Amino acid sequence: MGIDAHYPDVWIVVPAYHEATVIGDVVADLRTEFGNIVVVDDGSRDGTATAALRAGAHVVPHPVNLGQGAAIQTGVEYARAQPGAQVFATFDADGQHRVADVVAMIDRLRRDDLNIVVGTRFGHVSGAGAPARVPALKRIVLKAAAWLSPSSRKLGLTDAHNGLRVFDKRVADGLNLTMNGMSHAGEFIALVAENHWRIGEETVEILYTDYSLAKGQPLLNGVNILFDGLLRGRLSR
Amino acid sequence: MNWIQVLLIGAIVSLLFYLLRSRSSAKTKAWVKVGYLLFVIAAVYAILRPDDTTVVAHWLGVDRGADLIGYVLIVAFIFTTMSTYMRFKDLELKYARLARAVALQSAQQPEHPNESA
Repeated sequence: MGIDAHYPDVWIVVPAYHEATVIGDVVADLRTEFGNIVVVDDGSRDGTATAALRAGAHVVPHPVNLGQGAAIQTGVEYARAQPGAQVFATFDADGQHRVADVVAMIDRLRRDDLNIVVGTRFGHVSGAGAPARVPALKRIVLKAAAWLSPSSRKLGLTDAHNGLRVFDKRVADGLNLTMNGMSHAGEFIALVAENHWRIGEETVEILYTDYSLAKGQPLLNGVNILFDGLLRGRLSR
Repeated sequence: MNWIQVLLIGAIVSLLFYLLRSRSSAKTKAWVKVGYLLFVIAAVYAILRPDDTTVVAHWLGVDRGADLIGYVLIVAFIFTTMSTYMRFKDLELKYARLARAVALQSAQQPEHPNESA
Protein backbone atom coordinates (compact mmCIF):
# COMPACT_ATOMS: atom_id res chain seq x y z
CA MET A 1 0.00 0.00 0.00
CA GLY A 2 1.11 3.53 -0.59
CA ILE A 3 2.50 5.00 2.57
CA ASP A 4 1.73 8.67 3.19
CA ALA A 5 -0.06 9.04 -0.09
CA HIS A 6 -3.42 8.35 1.56
CA TYR A 7 -3.34 10.46 4.66
CA PRO A 8 -0.46 12.94 4.77
CA ASP A 9 -2.47 15.31 6.98
CA VAL A 10 -3.43 12.66 9.54
CA TRP A 11 -1.54 12.12 12.81
CA ILE A 12 -2.11 9.06 14.97
CA VAL A 13 -1.40 9.56 18.68
CA VAL A 14 -0.54 6.38 20.57
CA PRO A 15 -0.06 6.66 24.35
CA ALA A 16 2.08 3.75 25.52
CA TYR A 17 3.27 2.49 28.89
CA HIS A 18 5.24 -0.74 29.07
CA GLU A 19 4.10 -2.03 25.70
CA ALA A 20 7.46 -3.07 24.26
CA THR A 21 6.21 -6.52 23.23
CA VAL A 22 3.35 -5.23 21.08
CA ILE A 23 4.09 -1.59 20.19
CA GLY A 24 6.24 -2.53 17.19
CA ASP A 25 3.42 -4.54 15.61
CA VAL A 26 0.82 -1.89 16.42
CA VAL A 27 2.93 0.84 14.78
CA ALA A 28 3.75 -1.37 11.78
CA ASP A 29 0.05 -2.12 11.37
CA LEU A 30 -0.82 1.60 11.52
CA ARG A 31 1.89 2.35 8.99
CA THR A 32 0.15 0.25 6.36
CA GLU A 33 -2.32 3.16 6.14
CA PHE A 34 -0.79 6.15 7.89
CA GLY A 35 2.58 7.85 7.59
CA ASN A 36 2.49 10.03 10.69
CA ILE A 37 2.43 8.22 14.00
CA VAL A 38 3.53 9.65 17.32
CA VAL A 39 4.02 7.29 20.22
CA VAL A 40 4.11 8.97 23.62
CA ASP A 41 6.23 6.77 25.84
CA ASP A 42 4.82 7.41 29.29
CA GLY A 43 7.99 6.76 31.24
CA SER A 44 8.33 3.06 30.35
CA ARG A 45 11.46 1.21 31.37
CA ASP A 46 11.05 -1.72 29.00
CA GLY A 47 12.27 -0.37 25.65
CA THR A 48 8.85 0.77 24.41
CA ALA A 49 10.42 3.91 22.93
CA THR A 50 13.12 2.02 21.02
CA ALA A 51 10.62 -0.48 19.63
CA ALA A 52 8.28 2.28 18.50
CA LEU A 53 11.08 4.29 16.92
CA ARG A 54 12.38 1.24 15.07
CA ALA A 55 8.89 0.58 13.71
CA GLY A 56 8.85 4.08 12.23
CA ALA A 57 6.97 6.21 14.74
CA HIS A 58 7.90 9.57 16.17
CA VAL A 59 8.58 9.13 19.87
CA VAL A 60 7.94 11.70 22.60
CA PRO A 61 9.25 10.31 25.88
CA HIS A 62 7.79 11.43 29.19
CA PRO A 63 10.67 11.63 31.68
CA VAL A 64 8.37 10.16 34.35
CA ASN A 65 5.11 8.21 34.27
CA LEU A 66 2.19 10.65 34.19
CA GLY A 67 -0.80 8.60 33.08
CA GLN A 68 -2.72 8.08 29.87
CA GLY A 69 -4.55 11.41 29.88
CA ALA A 70 -1.28 13.31 30.13
CA ALA A 71 0.23 11.15 27.39
CA ILE A 72 -2.66 11.88 25.01
CA GLN A 73 -2.35 15.60 25.70
CA THR A 74 1.40 15.46 25.01
CA GLY A 75 0.89 13.53 21.77
CA VAL A 76 -1.77 15.94 20.54
CA GLU A 77 0.42 18.94 21.37
CA TYR A 78 3.27 17.38 19.42
CA ALA A 79 1.06 16.46 16.47
CA ARG A 80 -0.81 19.76 16.22
CA ALA A 81 2.52 21.61 15.93
CA GLN A 82 3.50 19.58 12.85
CA PRO A 83 3.12 21.39 9.52
CA GLY A 84 0.07 20.29 7.57
CA ALA A 85 -1.53 18.33 10.38
CA GLN A 86 -5.33 18.53 10.04
CA VAL A 87 -6.79 15.30 11.40
CA PHE A 88 -5.80 13.54 14.61
CA ALA A 89 -6.61 10.16 16.10
CA THR A 90 -5.98 8.53 19.46
CA PHE A 91 -5.24 4.84 19.30
CA ASP A 92 -4.47 2.49 22.20
CA ALA A 93 -1.05 0.87 22.20
CA ASP A 94 -2.17 -2.60 23.29
CA GLY A 95 -3.45 -3.62 19.89
CA GLN A 96 -7.14 -3.66 20.75
CA HIS A 97 -8.18 -1.28 17.98
CA ARG A 98 -8.42 -1.95 14.27
CA VAL A 99 -6.75 0.32 11.72
CA ALA A 100 -9.74 -0.15 9.41
CA ASP A 101 -11.94 1.50 12.05
CA VAL A 102 -9.71 4.60 12.07
CA VAL A 103 -10.03 4.86 8.30
CA ALA A 104 -13.82 4.57 8.55
CA MET A 105 -13.90 7.22 11.28
CA ILE A 106 -11.78 9.66 9.23
CA ASP A 107 -14.16 9.19 6.30
CA ARG A 108 -17.08 9.81 8.61
CA LEU A 109 -15.45 12.97 10.05
CA ARG A 110 -15.10 14.41 6.56
CA ARG A 111 -18.37 13.16 5.15
CA ASP A 112 -20.59 14.43 7.96
CA ASP A 113 -18.52 17.57 8.63
CA LEU A 114 -17.97 16.68 12.28
CA ASN A 115 -15.30 17.98 14.65
CA ILE A 116 -14.86 14.67 16.40
CA VAL A 117 -15.84 11.04 15.93
CA VAL A 118 -15.58 8.65 18.87
CA GLY A 119 -15.61 4.90 18.69
CA THR A 120 -18.38 2.96 20.39
CA ARG A 121 -18.58 -0.70 21.29
CA PHE A 122 -22.35 -0.47 21.52
CA GLY A 123 -23.39 0.91 18.15
CA HIS A 124 -26.66 0.08 16.50
CA VAL A 125 -25.07 -0.45 13.13
CA SER A 126 -24.81 -4.14 12.40
CA GLY A 127 -21.98 -5.75 10.53
CA ALA A 128 -18.97 -5.53 12.79
CA GLY A 129 -20.62 -7.71 15.38
CA ALA A 130 -18.94 -5.64 18.04
CA PRO A 131 -21.57 -5.58 20.79
CA ALA A 132 -21.47 -9.30 21.43
CA ARG A 133 -17.72 -9.23 21.88
CA VAL A 134 -17.65 -7.04 24.99
CA PRO A 135 -17.41 -9.12 28.20
CA ALA A 136 -20.70 -8.95 30.12
CA LEU A 137 -19.54 -7.19 33.29
CA LYS A 138 -17.44 -4.69 31.38
CA ARG A 139 -20.43 -3.99 29.19
CA ILE A 140 -22.63 -3.13 32.16
CA VAL A 141 -20.00 -0.89 33.75
CA LEU A 142 -19.26 0.95 30.51
CA LYS A 143 -22.93 1.56 29.84
CA ALA A 144 -23.39 2.80 33.39
CA ALA A 145 -20.39 5.13 32.96
CA ALA A 146 -21.84 6.57 29.77
CA TRP A 147 -25.21 7.05 31.44
CA LEU A 148 -23.79 8.59 34.64
CA SER A 149 -21.80 11.25 32.83
CA PRO A 150 -23.98 14.34 32.31
CA SER A 151 -22.14 15.49 29.18
CA SER A 152 -22.15 12.02 27.69
CA ARG A 153 -25.88 11.70 28.26
CA LYS A 154 -26.51 15.17 26.86
CA LEU A 155 -24.64 14.27 23.69
CA GLY A 156 -26.41 10.93 23.44
CA LEU A 157 -23.25 8.85 23.55
CA THR A 158 -23.32 5.14 24.26
CA ASP A 159 -19.67 4.50 25.15
CA ALA A 160 -17.78 7.20 27.02
CA HIS A 161 -14.54 5.33 27.53
CA ASN A 162 -13.43 4.20 24.13
CA GLY A 163 -9.76 4.82 23.34
CA LEU A 164 -10.42 5.37 19.66
CA ARG A 165 -11.16 8.97 18.66
CA VAL A 166 -10.70 10.94 15.47
CA PHE A 167 -10.84 14.73 15.54
CA ASP A 168 -9.97 17.83 13.55
CA LYS A 169 -7.57 20.74 14.12
CA ARG A 170 -10.16 22.77 16.02
CA VAL A 171 -10.51 20.05 18.67
CA ALA A 172 -6.75 19.47 18.77
CA ASP A 173 -6.05 23.16 19.29
CA GLY A 174 -8.70 23.45 21.97
CA LEU A 175 -7.75 20.28 23.80
CA ASN A 176 -6.50 20.82 27.32
CA LEU A 177 -6.73 17.60 29.33
CA THR A 178 -5.96 18.16 32.99
CA MET A 179 -6.84 14.71 34.28
CA ASN A 180 -3.57 12.87 34.03
CA GLY A 181 -4.86 9.40 34.82
CA MET A 182 -7.68 7.37 33.33
CA SER A 183 -10.36 9.99 33.95
CA HIS A 184 -9.43 11.85 30.78
CA ALA A 185 -12.07 10.05 28.70
CA GLY A 186 -14.87 11.71 30.63
CA GLU A 187 -13.01 15.00 30.56
CA PHE A 188 -12.62 14.72 26.79
CA ILE A 189 -16.37 14.34 26.39
CA ALA A 190 -17.00 17.20 28.83
CA LEU A 191 -14.75 19.43 26.71
CA VAL A 192 -16.74 18.45 23.62
CA ALA A 193 -19.94 19.51 25.36
CA GLU A 194 -18.49 22.77 26.70
CA ASN A 195 -17.01 23.83 23.37
CA HIS A 196 -20.02 22.69 21.31
CA TRP A 197 -17.87 20.57 19.04
CA ARG A 198 -19.95 18.51 16.62
CA ILE A 199 -19.59 14.89 17.65
CA GLY A 200 -20.53 11.59 16.07
CA GLU A 201 -20.20 7.96 17.11
CA GLU A 202 -18.94 5.18 14.92
CA THR A 203 -19.24 1.50 15.71
CA VAL A 204 -15.84 -0.06 16.17
CA GLU A 205 -14.63 -3.51 17.01
CA ILE A 206 -12.44 -4.05 20.04
CA LEU A 207 -10.09 -6.98 19.83
CA TYR A 208 -10.18 -8.32 23.37
CA THR A 209 -7.02 -10.37 23.34
CA ASP A 210 -5.62 -11.88 26.53
CA TYR A 211 -2.91 -9.25 26.36
CA SER A 212 -5.26 -6.27 26.08
CA LEU A 213 -7.55 -7.66 28.79
CA ALA A 214 -4.60 -8.07 31.13
CA LYS A 215 -3.35 -4.55 30.36
CA GLY A 216 -6.77 -2.91 30.45
CA GLN A 217 -7.88 -0.95 33.47
CA PRO A 218 -9.59 -2.88 36.22
CA LEU A 219 -13.28 -2.19 36.53
CA LEU A 220 -12.74 -0.92 40.07
CA ASN A 221 -10.96 2.05 38.53
CA GLY A 222 -14.45 3.23 37.56
CA VAL A 223 -14.79 4.49 41.13
CA ASN A 224 -11.78 6.77 40.66
CA ILE A 225 -13.11 7.97 37.34
CA LEU A 226 -16.50 8.79 38.82
CA PHE A 227 -14.92 10.69 41.73
CA ASP A 228 -12.62 12.70 39.45
CA GLY A 229 -15.56 13.53 37.21
CA LEU A 230 -17.48 14.99 40.14
CA LEU A 231 -14.52 17.04 41.32
CA ARG A 232 -13.55 18.30 37.92
CA GLY A 233 -15.91 21.24 37.91
CA ARG A 234 -14.38 22.52 41.13
CA LEU A 235 -10.82 22.54 39.91
CA SER A 236 -9.58 25.83 38.61
CA ARG A 237 -7.71 25.92 35.36
CA MET B 1 -2.55 27.07 86.05
CA ASN B 2 -2.21 23.38 85.25
CA TRP B 3 0.79 21.95 83.49
CA ILE B 4 -1.40 20.80 80.62
CA GLN B 5 -2.51 24.39 80.11
CA VAL B 6 1.09 25.57 79.99
CA LEU B 7 1.99 22.87 77.46
CA LEU B 8 -1.01 23.52 75.20
CA ILE B 9 -0.52 27.29 75.18
CA GLY B 10 3.19 26.85 74.54
CA ALA B 11 2.46 24.54 71.58
CA ILE B 12 -0.09 26.89 70.02
CA VAL B 13 2.05 30.01 70.42
CA SER B 14 5.12 28.32 68.93
CA LEU B 15 2.98 27.19 65.98
CA LEU B 16 1.89 30.80 65.55
CA PHE B 17 5.49 31.98 65.38
CA TYR B 18 6.32 29.22 62.94
CA LEU B 19 3.42 30.21 60.69
CA LEU B 20 4.12 33.96 60.84
CA ARG B 21 7.74 33.41 59.94
CA SER B 22 7.01 31.33 56.83
CA ARG B 23 7.56 33.51 53.79
CA SER B 24 4.84 32.39 51.37
CA SER B 25 2.84 34.63 49.06
CA ALA B 26 0.95 37.78 49.90
CA LYS B 27 -2.75 38.47 50.33
CA THR B 28 -4.42 35.09 50.79
CA LYS B 29 -1.71 34.05 53.20
CA ALA B 30 -2.30 37.24 55.17
CA TRP B 31 -5.93 36.25 55.78
CA VAL B 32 -4.83 32.79 56.82
CA LYS B 33 -2.56 34.44 59.38
CA VAL B 34 -5.31 36.71 60.68
CA GLY B 35 -7.57 33.67 60.98
CA TYR B 36 -4.87 31.79 62.79
CA LEU B 37 -4.31 34.67 65.20
CA LEU B 38 -8.02 34.62 66.09
CA PHE B 39 -7.79 30.87 66.53
CA VAL B 40 -4.85 31.25 68.88
CA ILE B 41 -6.68 33.80 71.02
CA ALA B 42 -9.74 31.55 71.20
CA ALA B 43 -7.59 28.52 71.97
CA VAL B 44 -5.68 30.21 74.77
CA TYR B 45 -8.95 31.45 76.25
CA ALA B 46 -10.46 27.95 76.05
CA ILE B 47 -7.41 26.47 77.73
CA LEU B 48 -7.46 28.96 80.58
CA ARG B 49 -11.22 28.77 81.11
CA PRO B 50 -12.29 25.33 79.78
CA ASP B 51 -15.73 25.59 81.32
CA ASP B 52 -16.61 28.53 79.08
CA THR B 53 -16.56 26.22 76.05
CA THR B 54 -19.40 24.34 77.71
CA VAL B 55 -21.37 27.58 77.85
CA VAL B 56 -20.87 28.09 74.11
CA ALA B 57 -21.75 24.42 73.55
CA HIS B 58 -25.04 24.91 75.39
CA TRP B 59 -25.90 27.87 73.13
CA LEU B 60 -25.51 25.51 70.17
CA GLY B 61 -27.39 22.62 71.73
CA VAL B 62 -24.31 20.51 72.52
CA ASP B 63 -23.92 18.99 75.98
CA ARG B 64 -20.24 19.43 76.73
CA GLY B 65 -17.58 21.89 75.58
CA ALA B 66 -15.24 18.98 74.85
CA ASP B 67 -17.82 17.54 72.42
CA LEU B 68 -18.11 20.91 70.67
CA ILE B 69 -14.34 21.06 70.28
CA GLY B 70 -14.42 17.53 68.88
CA TYR B 71 -16.98 18.50 66.23
CA VAL B 72 -15.03 21.61 65.26
CA LEU B 73 -11.91 19.48 64.97
CA ILE B 74 -13.63 17.02 62.62
CA VAL B 75 -14.87 19.80 60.35
CA ALA B 76 -11.45 21.46 60.35
CA PHE B 77 -9.82 18.14 59.50
CA ILE B 78 -12.13 17.53 56.54
CA PHE B 79 -11.52 21.06 55.30
CA THR B 80 -7.76 20.57 55.54
CA THR B 81 -7.94 17.22 53.78
CA MET B 82 -9.94 18.66 50.90
CA SER B 83 -7.72 21.69 50.46
CA THR B 84 -4.64 19.47 50.52
CA TYR B 85 -6.24 17.22 47.90
CA MET B 86 -6.98 20.20 45.66
CA ARG B 87 -3.48 21.51 46.15
CA PHE B 88 -2.00 18.16 45.20
CA LYS B 89 -4.13 18.02 42.06
CA ASP B 90 -2.92 21.49 41.17
CA LEU B 91 0.71 20.53 41.71
CA GLU B 92 0.19 17.33 39.72
CA LEU B 93 -1.00 19.39 36.78
CA LYS B 94 1.98 21.74 36.96
CA TYR B 95 4.28 18.75 37.23
CA ALA B 96 2.65 17.15 34.19
CA ARG B 97 3.09 20.37 32.18
CA LEU B 98 6.74 20.56 33.17
CA ALA B 99 7.32 16.94 32.20
CA ARG B 100 5.44 17.55 28.93
CA ALA B 101 7.70 20.47 28.06
CA VAL B 102 10.73 18.26 28.67
CA ALA B 103 9.19 15.44 26.61
CA LEU B 104 8.42 17.70 23.65
CA GLN B 105 11.99 18.98 23.66
CA SER B 106 13.42 15.49 23.59
CA ALA B 107 11.12 14.14 20.84
CA GLN B 108 12.77 11.70 18.46
CA GLN B 109 11.88 11.34 14.80
CA PRO B 110 12.11 8.08 12.88
CA GLU B 111 15.17 7.87 10.65
CA HIS B 112 13.20 7.32 7.48
CA PRO B 113 9.79 8.73 8.23
CA ASN B 114 8.51 8.42 4.69
CA GLU B 115 9.54 4.88 3.94
CA SER B 116 7.57 1.76 4.45
CA ALA B 117 8.24 -0.05 7.69
